[in-house]
Amino acid sequence: MNAPILELTGFAQDPAWLPWAVQYFFLVGISLGAFLLTLPHFLAGRGSAEAARAALIAALITGIAAPIALLADLHQPLRFWRFYLSPNGSSWMAWGAFFLPAYVGGLVAYGWLALRPAFAARAGKGLAGRIAGLLGGDGASWPQRLKAVGVFTAVGALLVALYTGSELAVVAARPLWHTPLLPLGLLATAIAAGAGLATLLTGDPAARTLLRRAVATGSAAALLVFIAGLFAGFAGAASGEAQLALVAHRPLASVVLVLLLAAPLLLTWQGGAPSLAGLLAVVAAWAWRWELFMGGQRLPKSGAGFYDYAVPFGTEGLLGVLGSTGLVVLIALALHAVLPARAGRA
Amino acid sequence: MTTKRRDFLKGAGVAGAAATFAVGYSHTAHQFLKGFLERGATDPISGNAPAPEFQVDPVSGEVRLNPDQQVSYTVCMGCTTLCGVRVRVDKRSDKVLRVAGNPYDCLSASDPLPFAAPVLASFAALSRFGERGLGHRATACGRGNAVLAKLDSPQRVRVPLKRIGPRGAGQWAPISFEQLVQEVVEGGDLFGEGHVDGLRAIRDLETPIDPEQPELGPRANQLAVLTPFDEGRQAFVRRFALNAFGTVNFAGHRAYCGLTMRSAYAALLDDWKAQPHLKPDFEHAEFMLFVGTAPGNAGNPFKRQGAQMADARTRSAKVVVVDPILTNADNLAAADRVRWLPIRPGTDGALAMGMIRWIFEHEAYDAAFLQCPNPQAAEAAGQPSWSNAAHLVIASGPEAGRFLRGSDLGFTTAGADDPFVVLDGTGRPRKHTDVAAAPLFHQGEVALANGERVAMATSLSLLRAAAFEHSLADYAAACDIPAETIAGLAHEFTSHGKRASADCHGGTMGPNGFYAAYAVTMLNALVGNLNAKGGAAVGGGKFKSVAPGPRYNLVSFPGMVKPRGAALARNNLPYEKTTEFKRKQAAGRPYPSHQPWLALSPGMGSEFLPAALNGYPYPLKALIMWSCNPVYGVAGMHRQVGPLADPRVLPLIVAIDPFINETNTYADYIVPDSVLYESWGWAGAWGGTVTKGSTARWPVVAPRQAATADGEPIAMESFFIAVAQRLGLPGFGDRAITDAAGNTHPLNTAADYYLRAGANVAFDSQPVPDAYDTDIAASGVTRLVPQLQAVLKPEEWRKVAYLYARGGRFAGAADAYDGERLRHRYPRALQIHNEQLARARNSITGERFRGVPFWQPAVFADGTLLDAVYPPEAWPLRAVSTKSQLQSAHSIGTARLQQIQPTNPIALNAEDARALGIETGDRIRVVSPGGSVVGIALVRAGVARGAVGIEHGFGHRELGARAHRVGGAPVPRATGAGNGVNLNELGCPDPSRPGVTLLADFVSGAAARQGLPVRVERA
Amino acid sequence: MNPSRRDFLKGIAVGAAGAAVGAPAAARSAQGEGDAKHRWGMVVDLRRCIGCQACTVACGTENHTPLGQYRTVVHQFEIPGADGRPRRASLPRLCNHCAEPPCIPVCPVGATFQRADGIVLVDNTRCVGCGYCVQACPYDARFVNAELGTADKCTFCVHRVDAGLLPACVETCVGSARIFGDLNNPDSSVSQLLREHEALPLKPAAGTAPQVRYIGLDGRLQDKVTGEPSPIAAKLAEVTP
Ligand SMILES: Nc1nc2c(c(=O)[nH]1)N[C@H]1C(S)=C(S)[C@@H](COP(=O)(O)OP(=O)(O)OC[C@H]3O[C@@H](n4cnc5c(=O)[nH]c(N)nc54)[C@H](O)[C@@H]3O)O[C@H]1N2
Ligand SMILES: Nc1nc2c(c(=O)[nH]1)N[C@H]1C(S)=C(S)[C@@H](COP(=O)(O)OP(=O)(O)OC[C@H]3O[C@@H](n4cnc5c(=O)[nH]c(N)nc54)[C@H](O)[C@@H]3O)O[C@H]1N2
Ligand code: SF4
Ligand code: SF4
Ligand code: SF4
Ligand code: SF4
Ligand code: SF4
Ligand SMILES: [Mo]
Repeated sequence: MNAPILELTGFAQDPAWLPWAVQYFFLVGISLGAFLLTLPHFLAGRGSAEAARAALIAALITGIAAPIALLADLHQPLRFWRFYLSPNGSSWMAWGAFFLPAYVGGLVAYGWLALRPAFAARAGKGLAGRIAGLLGGDGASWPQRLKAVGVFTAVGALLVALYTGSELAVVAARPLWHTPLLPLGLLATAIAAGAGLATLLTGDPAARTLLRRAVATGSAAALLVFIAGLFAGFAGAASGEAQLALVAHRPLASVVLVLLLAAPLLLTWQGGAPSLAGLLAVVAAWAWRWELFMGGQRLPKSGAGFYDYAVPFGTEGLLGVLGSTGLVVLIALALHAVLPARAGRA
Repeated sequence: MTTKRRDFLKGAGVAGAAATFAVGYSHTAHQFLKGFLERGATDPISGNAPAPEFQVDPVSGEVRLNPDQQVSYTVCMGCTTLCGVRVRVDKRSDKVLRVAGNPYDCLSASDPLPFAAPVLASFAALSRFGERGLGHRATACGRGNAVLAKLDSPQRVRVPLKRIGPRGAGQWAPISFEQLVQEVVEGGDLFGEGHVDGLRAIRDLETPIDPEQPELGPRANQLAVLTPFDEGRQAFVRRFALNAFGTVNFAGHRAYCGLTMRSAYAALLDDWKAQPHLKPDFEHAEFMLFVGTAPGNAGNPFKRQGAQMADARTRSAKVVVVDPILTNADNLAAADRVRWLPIRPGTDGALAMGMIRWIFEHEAYDAAFLQCPNPQAAEAAGQPSWSNAAHLVIASGPEAGRFLRGSDLGFTTAGADDPFVVLDGTGRPRKHTDVAAAPLFHQGEVALANGERVAMATSLSLLRAAAFEHSLADYAAACDIPAETIAGLAHEFTSHGKRASADCHGGTMGPNGFYAAYAVTMLNALVGNLNAKGGAAVGGGKFKSVAPGPRYNLVSFPGMVKPRGAALARNNLPYEKTTEFKRKQAAGRPYPSHQPWLALSPGMGSEFLPAALNGYPYPLKALIMWSCNPVYGVAGMHRQVGPLADPRVLPLIVAIDPFINETNTYADYIVPDSVLYESWGWAGAWGGTVTKGSTARWPVVAPRQAATADGEPIAMESFFIAVAQRLGLPGFGDRAITDAAGNTHPLNTAADYYLRAGANVAFDSQPVPDAYDTDIAASGVTRLVPQLQAVLKPEEWRKVAYLYARGGRFAGAADAYDGERLRHRYPRALQIHNEQLARARNSITGERFRGVPFWQPAVFADGTLLDAVYPPEAWPLRAVSTKSQLQSAHSIGTARLQQIQPTNPIALNAEDARALGIETGDRIRVVSPGGSVVGIALVRAGVARGAVGIEHGFGHRELGARAHRVGGAPVPRATGAGNGVNLNELGCPDPSRPGVTLLADFVSGAAARQGLPVRVERA
Repeated sequence: MNPSRRDFLKGIAVGAAGAAVGAPAAARSAQGEGDAKHRWGMVVDLRRCIGCQACTVACGTENHTPLGQYRTVVHQFEIPGADGRPRRASLPRLCNHCAEPPCIPVCPVGATFQRADGIVLVDNTRCVGCGYCVQACPYDARFVNAELGTADKCTFCVHRVDAGLLPACVETCVGSARIFGDLNNPDSSVSQLLREHEALPLKPAAGTAPQVRYIGLDGRLQDKVTGEPSPIAAKLAEVTP
């Protein structure tokens, strides 16, 4: 009888990347996904203005929150300046330290330019009114500047997408990550979730229909990436095998993830509930990253089985996730306060 | 929605979002602050690793000491191996930084340094200098590395404690040392529960306990003193208990450690008192058979055998380990040099007798050795030892089992040196000393001088007859090892001349363990390996320390008491000499005795508590326990805690122990004690070394517990000294120790005793040199110099310092061999037939024991088969205990060990588990007739069918597993200390005995922890 | 050089008075550098490993690693032997001080580096605790020290090696299974062992060129082990804070 290998003494290892990393990738993903959806309108004057406005707000609130989550994932957040003092060119993360502020800075400038008329319209009494007045100035729109900043930020967004994807994909030691499919999956879910969040931020039916289409497209692409991964696994590719192992280890989570990706498609196909589709796409983007990060770190590099990671309740786990959600809401409320109640009134 | 309401909601939203953000990011904020406020690591590269203890130039070997640290050689007590270790201390905080091995001690170093090497040279020898540190590696095992945590354990008892409320309630009052001694000695209404006799009242050396049964001895015997083993300080307790107080009731843990094995070797080596034992000479062995001992996984000396196993695997040596459980004695990378042979628990006797049968059938025994009937013949034949194989044994009549003596045949007159009788080449009986080569097999009759004719046989014939009682197939069926395998093993065993040996130990601790162990150890006799290089060794022994030594007599003293009377465990007196026997004989039925009398055994620690609780042979008034834990360590003792908690049954319990364990949790008083490297002692290898050595333990750090008014740490020694002085006992006080010139010296402190023992060691045979100042400074012995100078004579102190600087005295490699023989040889005859055994009777059945090994399945004390009372249909599995490779019985609560293995699973055979529908990770319950435990299942191919394996060292209820309160303040629990299960909670009673009983080996009385009948179910 | 290190060197100078012999030792190179003359490596002779975990405990004690975080571990397996019957196997693991270490290029701030003598180290004053190197090491040899917040790993006990001593785990290896030495020196024990035995690295396919090699390594243990995990490793949380 040839019994399998039994590990009598094994050692569990805690994940080095905490749920904070999930939050960062989630937020920055939504932001750049949503931002990309604003470009047709603001750069080329095409598509729905309301959809672009909603997407822009989605991009802004998540884009501002993202770096803060990233900082929290550092075990030595106070030393973030090291990224700039002694950057190491061979590390994607080092490049990210430049791409991310470029993108977020560009995004803020781009948002400000795009929303100047709206701020001006909101100017008035009270703290929020006065801040809106300051931001809005004379309310003139500066299309040339907007275009220039838009192009800069778009490059930034693509670089962020590139570095976030590559940062993971180059890690040969984590087979789940070590695949060219990974950046694609991240981008697809980012676009779906960016559009999804924007859907939630507008009541305009036309805009919602348009955004819903983006949600569906992104979700479909993500689903394809997921399935391609499984096939790669059957074909013996290491990363696909890791994906299969994880699916087998956490069947429920995998089913939920697939359902989350498929639901917006079904909803779109049936023509109903854009908000629900949008919300599910946002959740799907989060779940995707959760499985990717925490799941990837569950696979021991040497030992047998899996490291069982129970999400701690504290700040390194659930509270952290909640905290960054709180931050997003806070930023949303702040933006809401300095913008007119409805788009198009400007 | 009104603006107001909207604003309010918005405000609430903002506040809520802000709050979650703040809470969620508090950790980040904390990290920020930490970066500001806290000092990071002490070194950019090496983090918080302390600076090295010394520096050695890799080219010149020059040593530079780190003045902030001290490196001292002393002794580890992480388990009973007592390795010499080097302890690295941070001088400023007096904290132990790390522990590794002593390179002078062969228990720790595979290539020990010459004893003459200066201490600084020993440091260089541990370094990269010429890669010396690889060859002279001196190690501590995992446990030895970890136990330093005990020193500063929050669970330590630091002041004397007196119980509050009922026994075992976990509530204690801190009391002064003076109050402790006063109450323990004088007694009184100590707990508001009525009068309790103190030691003064109990120490009555005249009045018999029972005038009707004078053999029970005086009332002083109603104090019992329980200890663990000779870990370097036991002799001090012995001095107090036996010779100063005068109780006969003093015992160690052997009865629940390895008494079956020790008794078996006692039978083989003809010394029931000292019970010497053999270990393979690993270094030169070609084949080693381990039955119920797992060298490298446990075994004693644990670490040395581990290293020797490692060596054996890279040599051409072969090792077979017979064990129901696959342990780390095996190793895949060793390929076929090691072989695990699974066996049905409790059937080693069948395996060994099967091998013996095969050896006889194939005449594969060493006839040239066996036929030497006396030492001169052996010497002449170039044999390293001799045996009684050819000696004639009376085989019929009332004298059956006795050796035929010269006087029986009229050759000589009866007396101490009455010779044995052997046949000569012509078949005529002769004195054993007159024949050089005697026939090995003979069975017949002989006419005695008195005209009587009796049957007689040679020892070897009796053994052969016993082996032929069953066929090889029967033996195979009994032990579940194929007959071919048994035959192959016997063939292999007898194919290496004297370089093969067989050993056993804990695995034989079952109810039939003695005869199993006797059969296994008998294999050595059949190849004549005793005293042979690569054979079986009795060990190099120790130097004289606590002895009538060359400088001081530390054993006898003026006024010394010779205790008398029957011991509580009924081990020092044959039943046939008791009043009970005479009474019952008069009534026509002398047997059974009320409880077994174990005339062949030493002090029986396992039987103390049951005897006290049964009040048989007499009730106990006080129990003093020092550093032992029978409730945890004796299978089935957990059921006795009820009566133990009742002061009416046992009125006074005093424990001396640095920790609260499962036994002393029921004490009335706990006296703190020193731990590990804080304590004194003279120890040595328990076995397994072929050279002579003594290890010196001394306080290399300050004891953490409270001190007496004189500034002595409160410990076992200071407690007994104070009690003895208050009682005015001999052997302690100002004139207690006599030197070689007849002058007396004081015994008022621990140093008075241990330093003088050190002088004995230093002057034993060839005195050691004086220590140079550099030795003293480099080894931290500086802190001992004031005491050395105060206690010892001018010509002594530097010699004793020489020992402490090196952690003992070690004879070195030259002490090992004398050609093909060992230098330390055992002189007596190997007992193929043991007369004392054969003449002793089972006090329950009245039958004589058999003088040769035979296959005996597990039985109760009255001879009933275990299987008859606990039928396999109801109890289909047999639980066995395997020592944890990491833990010892008392090492739980050390976090660095627990982080490696946090608990012990219950190991099941894969097929058994499948039949039961149990998978790895399931919670299961193991039920025995004596109790049940619940734990995590581990389904293994490496478990014999029918066996359930539980590692020992886990499943604690105390030692940090339970919270106590001292002076109203809580003593914290040690995380995880209670994890896992303790096999002993499955220990069974012996239904053939009345009262509080333990399943025990029917010959030696050893507590049975192996082969317990159980069933397993999901929990 | 940081202050504590200077103190230590001062200590050595004082200590020399107590030492018996010789000229002062040659000045040590700073810990960050290392001497290219040497190439430190380890051979683990698995035939000799008894699985006692002395190395694991000694490393934690010497290097003050937090409980539940390990620079070295000894995995224990029950594994079918050549004849299908179960055997015990031990596998000590530690940083391989790879010649091609994938943990180094990913570090965004250059906090982890390799000395000229091959020892791979982390400068904990520079490390931002991003954990990227932890992900990149194929051997789970790194972790983010829970107390210091910086990357941690086996240093080959560089503080001891530079002091002319042996690593803690080597000093206390009961089976003498861990053999440490200079791979550049053909007479060293490690070089001899490598000449005389087949000594395999872990995960050769990772292309990391490990400088820790194993005698008697079974192919089934060379890469990630496929098998049943220990049911008790998960209970660790109960003992580690
Ligand atoms: N199921 C099962 N039972 C067994 C065994 C087994 O393998 N399986 N093994 C048996 C064997 S072989 C033996 S020898 C016995 C051992 O059993 P015992 O000899 O009774 O003792 P231990 O439990 O080892 O420890 C005794 C006490 O010493 C104290 N102690 C610990 N460290 C120190 C110290 O540094 N100084 C002092 N003064 N005291 C200290 C602790 O409080 C501990 O409880 O157990 C036996 N019981
Ligand atoms: N790691 C470690 N080492 C130790 C100690 C420790 O606590 N931990 N304690 C020391 C002490 S006090 C002692 S006495 C020695 C004892 O050392 P050992 O005798 O080697 O240890 P045990 O575990 O008591 O028993 C040995 C083996 O017997 C097996 N066994 C059980 N039942 C049977 C059976 O019926 N037949 C056979 N053939 N085998 C059986 C067990 O599975 C176990 O592996 O170890 C010493 N060394
Ligand atoms: S074998 Fe026992 S005495 Fe020796 S170092 Fe290990 S724990 Fe200590
Ligand atoms: S084992 Fe891991 S940490 Fe060590 S050098 Fe190689 S990649 Fe880096
Ligand atoms: S954790 Fe530290 S050493 Fe590792 S990659 Fe990040 S900054 Fe570099
Ligand atoms: S070399 Fe030092 S740091 Fe590395 S594993 Fe060994 S003890 Fe730990
Ligand atoms: S100390 Fe040596 S023998 Fe023990 S587990 Fe570690 S490598 Fe193996
Ligand atoms: Mo023992």
